[in-house]
Amino acid sequence: MEEKLTREEVLHVANLARIEIDEEELAMYQVKLKQILNEIEKINEVTSYDEGMLICPTENKCKLREDTAGEMLEPREALKNAPRSSGNYFSVPVVIGETGEASA
Amino acid sequence: MRQVHNYLDLSLIEINKLFKEKKITPTDLVLEAFDRVEKNKELNSFITLNKEEALKQAKELEQKEVDSLTFGIPIAIKDNIVTKDLRTTAASKMLENFNPIYDADVIKKIKDANMIIIGKTNMDEFAMGSSNRTSYFGLVKNPWDKNRVPGGSSGGSAAAVSSRIVPLAIGSDTGGSIRQPASFCGVVGLKPTYGRVSRYGLIAFASSLDQIGPMTRNVYENALLLNTICGKSSNDLTSVETNEDFTRLIGKDISNMKIAIPNYYVNDAIDKEIINKLNEVVELLKKKNCTIDYVDINYIDKAVPLYQIIAMGEASSNLARYDGIRYGYSYETPENIEDLYLKSRKIGFGPEVKRRIMIGSYLLSGKNAKEYYDKALKIRDDLRRNFLATFEKYDLIIGPTNTTTAYELDKGLDDAIKSFLDDILTIPVNMAGLPGMSVPIGFSDSKLPIGLQIIGKPFDEAKMYQLASFIEKELNLDLNPNGGEKND
Amino acid sequence: MTNYIPTIGIEVHVELKTNTKIFSNSINGYGQMANSLTNVVDLGYPGTLPTLNKEVINLAIKAAKVLNCNIRREMHFDRKNYFYPDNPKNFQITQSRTPIGYDGYVEIEVEKTKKKIYIEEMHIEEDTCKSTHRGDKTLLDFNRAGVPLIEIVTKPCISSSTEAKLYLEKLKELLFYSDISDCKMEEGSMRCDANVSIRKNEQDLFGTKCEIKNIGSISNVGLSIEKEIERQAKLLDSGETFKEQTRRFDNKTCDTVLMRVKETGNDYRYFPEPDIPYLYITDEMITEVEKTICMLPDERRTIYIEKGVSDVNAKKLIQNRELSDYFNTLLSEKTNFKIASNLILGDISAYLNKNEKKITDTTLTKERFLELIEKVDDGTLTSKNLKDILDVILEKDISISTIIKESGIENITDDSTIREIIKKIISENPESVSDYKAGHDRAIKFFMGQVMKETKGSANPKLAMDILKEELK
Repeated sequence: MEEKLTREEVLHVANLARIEIDEEELAMYQVKLKQILNEIEKINEVTSYDEGMLICPTENKCKLREDTAGEMLEPREALKNAPRSSGNYFSVPVVIGETGEASA
Repeated sequence: MRQVHNYLDLSLIEINKLFKEKKITPTDLVLEAFDRVEKNKELNSFITLNKEEALKQAKELEQKEVDSLTFGIPIAIKDNIVTKDLRTTAASKMLENFNPIYDADVIKKIKDANMIIIGKTNMDEFAMGSSNRTSYFGLVKNPWDKNRVPGGSSGGSAAAVSSRIVPLAIGSDTGGSIRQPASFCGVVGLKPTYGRVSRYGLIAFASSLDQIGPMTRNVYENALLLNTICGKSSNDLTSVETNEDFTRLIGKDISNMKIAIPNYYVNDAIDKEIINKLNEVVELLKKKNCTIDYVDINYIDKAVPLYQIIAMGEASSNLARYDGIRYGYSYETPENIEDLYLKSRKIGFGPEVKRRIMIGSYLLSGKNAKEYYDKALKIRDDLRRNFLATFEKYDLIIGPTNTTTAYELDKGLDDAIKSFLDDILTIPVNMAGLPGMSVPIGFSDSKLPIGLQIIGKPFDEAKMYQLASFIEKELNLDLNPNGGEKND
Repeated sequence: MTNYIPTIGIEVHVELKTNTKIFSNSINGYGQMANSLTNVVDLGYPGTLPTLNKEVINLAIKAAKVLNCNIRREMHFDRKNYFYPDNPKNFQITQSRTPIGYDGYVEIEVEKTKKKIYIEEMHIEEDTCKSTHRGDKTLLDFNRAGVPLIEIVTKPCISSSTEAKLYLEKLKELLFYSDISDCKMEEGSMRCDANVSIRKNEQDLFGTKCEIKNIGSISNVGLSIEKEIERQAKLLDSGETFKEQTRRFDNKTCDTVLMRVKETGNDYRYFPEPDIPYLYITDEMITEVEKTICMLPDERRTIYIEKGVSDVNAKKLIQNRELSDYFNTLLSEKTNFKIASNLILGDISAYLNKNEKKITDTTLTKERFLELIEKVDDGTLTSKNLKDILDVILEKDISISTIIKESGIENITDDSTIREIIKKIISENPESVSDYKAGHDRAIKFFMGQVMKETKGSANPKLAMDILKEELK
């Protein structure tokens, strides 16, 4: 039998990615994601490695920016590419539940 | 009818001379470039043309002094680099109507250098692909054989330079996206050292792998273009200061250079024709008393799984911003916010992009992040150190750019694993943040270009150009796909 | 009160007082026109990259110091991935693995006993944009997107609502005093979440945790914790169990309301932010920041009281950072600090409030203030005639003694003049003299009152008292 993920696992991933998938895609991903997982299992052949992580191949140390203001956009310009707006605001269909705060 | 001069077949030095002697103007070049776009329409190398603005700019340049070799030269820009007020789509329906409100750092530099942007080139959607067949705006054809792919993802830029529409183009390379199409189309393409060119304004695919680079007809002009676009930017924390002329070693003697060829780069998966061409180059170098050693670089064979984890992971996060709220495609009649997300992203992204976002999300979700992602970053660190250790003994690494020459347009596209195999020789370079370039070294029996990959240690592009220019001169290939018949 | 032991942990987000945002150079401001404080980075435009504001790092180091945290020397940032309309990139840049500060504490005093509230970690992150619900739409204002935040997370070591409130008050005082944040809960520059669980005995495992989010004031943090403890106790008493959940505090009902039950933990797909290289904190950076840390409230309180300032005045001074700072400039001098604190908190404060001025905007230099204190201390100036010349003292840069002289309110310090007046008063009030002789204290007060009345308040009180006592013998 072909190895595959469960429907729920794939639906969970599709929801994380916020991509709507149909039955056909669902079936395809059940197999594909499993294949990929098997493929990357190859890294487990490597057993001796250093603990240091290469997050980005740069020798740069993070240079800090001075706290002085630069140019900003006019609200009109900020909204230029917005599909929906209302006055100076971006607009989306109502979000029910939480009020938008950073403490998520 | 205007007389056809084929100025665009001349070298930048020759064009510069004609400018200085006032025999031609930038407008002549721009008009010729657009003529060539028209003649090569079938290639589909451009998504958006910038004709009006280009002509206006050419006119303005007539009042200015010719100050550099790049002055007044038409250039094509890959469509994942944002250009203010010039549509930038990343070849996606998602950004079909996206008009950026700022210029990428490289675009500012190109404008400051008085180059003229002809248009935005076709590419794989969000640079995800290596055959330029995932573009929402249709596939691009290889100028050498219109039944074959130009490579990708910078396929439009490669085809535009190869077909001599423009002398210069900008591409971007995350896993081989400059080098592979350069090799397929017979042009010179360089992926600079990570940090050499500011990524500010490059629509991110995988942040720790992406790099913008030059694609040109020859080595010298490639170095010239790198001179223009490189440098530290306060907008990109990973960019570095450059204070050098990349042309400075071109034409200099290469005798006694120490060169390594990884054993992995001559493995069985690589076409015999390509290995043969590589061997011809090796003979050439040996005659110049270069050392050529076959070496092992640990974990180089793991670069593809590392790429799948890291590139897909970063991509899934980088592409989360396309949600139909601030810009880009937005589903017209969503029932609620979740519906807006789900439908905008379902409809706005093509299948390959969705596939990669799904993979990335999956590999970062739950326990996978700890189990695979962290480990990938650790092995990646080792891989880079193994490369750097090799460079303690050798000046440069060489090998083929690709395992094959350009394949046919209808070759199977949809294979989760195989689609990365195009890039097994290019991906390790991005993983380690090294500079890598592809330079043409000949043709297959079916007259398809073959590229040699040259890999340097970080920030050693000048030496790569030195070797590349030697090979270019020795081989003296005719790289115009239109062959003897002139481009008229 | 219930017979359960509560365990409380608190998470606080504070917005940092910087000029610009954390990852872009647009202005960090409040109350401006919607979407007028943004740039392409804040909007998460394709191709944009973060830069890191130096002041954010300085303030975070400062906060770590003030909260007695260890400071990490090498760190990276992480991406927290989740879709929400207020989250422009649909990932938030934060520090999940390498928080800048860890293992700190804040000391509070509960019923005269000191207790340390331990801080697990504090990290830097970006704020989201502000959303407002209007009918069937949600409107988004990105002015707040990218405002720098630090999140301070305590260990689950708080055992009552009182401790929670004391901790928050102390935290607020420390952060406000150190110029790290405005800490205005009403404007959202300080936001609190509380995690509450209860158990029967100390030996028991922790109970099921409920998180109360975004509580709007410190007193409501107290209330919501109490309500939550009650609610959980009631459930446990009746043998019910409940799932981990997120709740909010409803201002109207003064009770907590369920928002959502936590299913299987959120899947935020954290991974290291590749666009920001490793950040290294050097000794020099820490030393530079240490120089900017002012004396903290606890230390001020101790010193003030040592110097003879009353408890009430010490507290009042500390509540006004600017006056307290001014007061601190005197600490190295020899003067009467009790009088100094009375003057600052009394007439001078009244003047400053009326004229909407800062004390540093007046002409009251340290030297002139010392002179003023001396003149009050030695009785040259009475509180009444001080009022008459206060405006001049605070607005003109002339020596205090000159002002006193020129104002003509100079006290009668001439021995014979006062003695004459006193003699007259004594002869006119024989009953009070008898009172005095019988040992009634109020008699002397009466005589002093009469002296001041006769001299229109201009007699040097110290001198008058001495003569009065002599004459009454």
